[in-house]
Amino acid sequence: MAVLEMPELTALAPPMILALTALVLFTYDSINPRSTNRPVIAGVATVGSLASLGVAVWFILSGVGTPLEEGGNGVFDLFEGQLIVDQMALFFMIIVGVVTALVSIASYDYLRDHTYQAEYYSLILLAATGMSTMASANSLVTIFIALELASLPSFALVAILKSNRGSVEAGLKYFLIGAMSSAIFVYGISLVYGATGHMQLDAIANNLDAAEEMNGLLGIGVLMLIGGFAYKTASVPFHFWAPEAYEGAPAPISAFLSSASKAAGFVIAFRVFTTAFPLDAMQTLGVDWSIAFIVLAIVTMTVGNFAAATQDNVKRMLAYSSVGHAGYALIGLAGLTVDGGELVLGAAMMHLLVYGFMNTGAFLFVALAEYWGVGRTFEDYNGLSKQAPVACVALAVFMFSLAGIPPFGGFWSKYFLFTGALEAASTNVWLLVVAAALVINSALSLYYYSRLVKAVWIEDAVLERESLSQPTGLYAAIVVAAVMTVLILPGFGPVADAAINAAGAIVA
Amino acid sequence: MTVEIHYYVLLSAALFCIGLFGVLTRRNALMFLMSVEIMLNAANINLIAFAFYHGNLSGQVFALFTMALAAAEVAVGLGIILVLYRNFRDVDVTVPSAMRW
Repeated sequence: MAVLEMPELTALAPPMILALTALVLFTYDSINPRSTNRPVIAGVATVGSLASLGVAVWFILSGVGTPLEEGGNGVFDLFEGQLIVDQMALFFMIIVGVVTALVSIASYDYLRDHTYQAEYYSLILLAATGMSTMASANSLVTIFIALELASLPSFALVAILKSNRGSVEAGLKYFLIGAMSSAIFVYGISLVYGATGHMQLDAIANNLDAAEEMNGLLGIGVLMLIGGFAYKTASVPFHFWAPEAYEGAPAPISAFLSSASKAAGFVIAFRVFTTAFPLDAMQTLGVDWSIAFIVLAIVTMTVGNFAAATQDNVKRMLAYSSVGHAGYALIGLAGLTVDGGELVLGAAMMHLLVYGFMNTGAFLFVALAEYWGVGRTFEDYNGLSKQAPVACVALAVFMFSLAGIPPFGGFWSKYFLFTGALEAASTNVWLLVVAAALVINSALSLYYYSRLVKAVWIEDAVLERESLSQPTGLYAAIVVAAVMTVLILPGFGPVADAAINAAGAIVA
Repeated sequence: MTVEIHYYVLLSAALFCIGLFGVLTRRNALMFLMSVEIMLNAANINLIAFAFYHGNLSGQVFALFTMALAAAEVAVGLGIILVLYRNFRDVDVTVPSAMRW
């Protein structure tokens, strides 16, 4: 295998390609600051993110990150374990690459009148670099730095429509809550460091016995870390920025944050809690974090779905549904048990991958509606299928997949989450409640997802509309996302294997 | 004579709580930013004290990173507060309420 002959650093190629593309865009911008040559700028961003995606897929197929015993090329441990490239890292680099590529293509049309083109795309790519690095971060130091690298450009991106009051308000609220929760997160890191004396995740796990006398500090530190993860994944109790930020932000950015940023938040949570705080050692110390995640999972999915059901504004409904989906993915951590849980963790990873397609697609449909200027509420969407049947078929696919209707990708990942939770229930009875909450909330979510499908397909338009244009970039991104949401179904076997293998490697 | 570790932790916990109180009560966006800085510096005190206590340097090095990141965060935050002022003619964080919470 050719990969073996390359230096170790090549294993980090996916995030490095993203960073390089951002720098290319900055260079272009400094040579030609007023350029609004959209084909070149959006093209460079798309090519860069597709290259990062392609390399990550090639790596995972050629066995980079698979342990040597299983016939792979081995896990790459860089800078004395500060960064690690294993299957889980590559899996999440793929999610980030997919979402970044879709968003770059869609932004081509969405930002047609915007003055600052190159800045926008380079900020997207810098944020994506941060998220991709989060996937491989293996120490609290690198986790925090990568998290900030993902957050800071996101704040600017949400507020990038400088004269639009909604965008500025959303950016402000996102920034205020982001700054506060990163302060809480770093304080949590300092307490964990105080209790164990280390920041590298494996070293923390090895020194947990030494933390016996300071397990109070350790407990508060872990709680504060959970707060930081909850902010990044938009779950309770730090979810209330999400509806604001997603509603006010430009729609492609909402898609980017709700899919890629959420997935990146989950990967660090998965890695920290499986590597640094193994459940058995933490239970002997009296810090049983699985209870916290069981509660958070149930509350998050319930809050998200009930709030989504009462919305009139489509983008806000999707924002709350994204909170609900964070609750589903939290089952991956809630279902971990002392001697297992790779099925449920793998299912959460699958769900985040499928979510990367279907939720990005749904937000990009909102971007298309904003491009047409049809309005923001369910009623404004009435009868769109007459003018834009292709996009509306795609929307129906996204909605039914988000709700978890059988033929689509969203059903399979929820099915695996459900069976995983039931399997874990043999050791922890509370998982039965989690599984029941999953089913009830999915049934409820069908109500508001099908309401949107009904609006575009069955209702008649309130006002007569002229025929709508068909922007190439947005259409291409939406169609690709829809095709992938369907195509992931025959391909679900390998995806599920990859996810469960990755989860097994990290749990064991 | 060395100061015992738990005094440092108490100091940093007090600073953290002062910062958190400011975050929750201040309506001026700039005061909010300063409160967040106090919270970050509380973490820095902890990191440096524990680095001395454990006898390794990773805490001190991380404190340097935290300071750099705090500066970057303030830079982005001031930019957002600037566009806030241009749009709303105020830096009160409760003024923009076009969207409900």
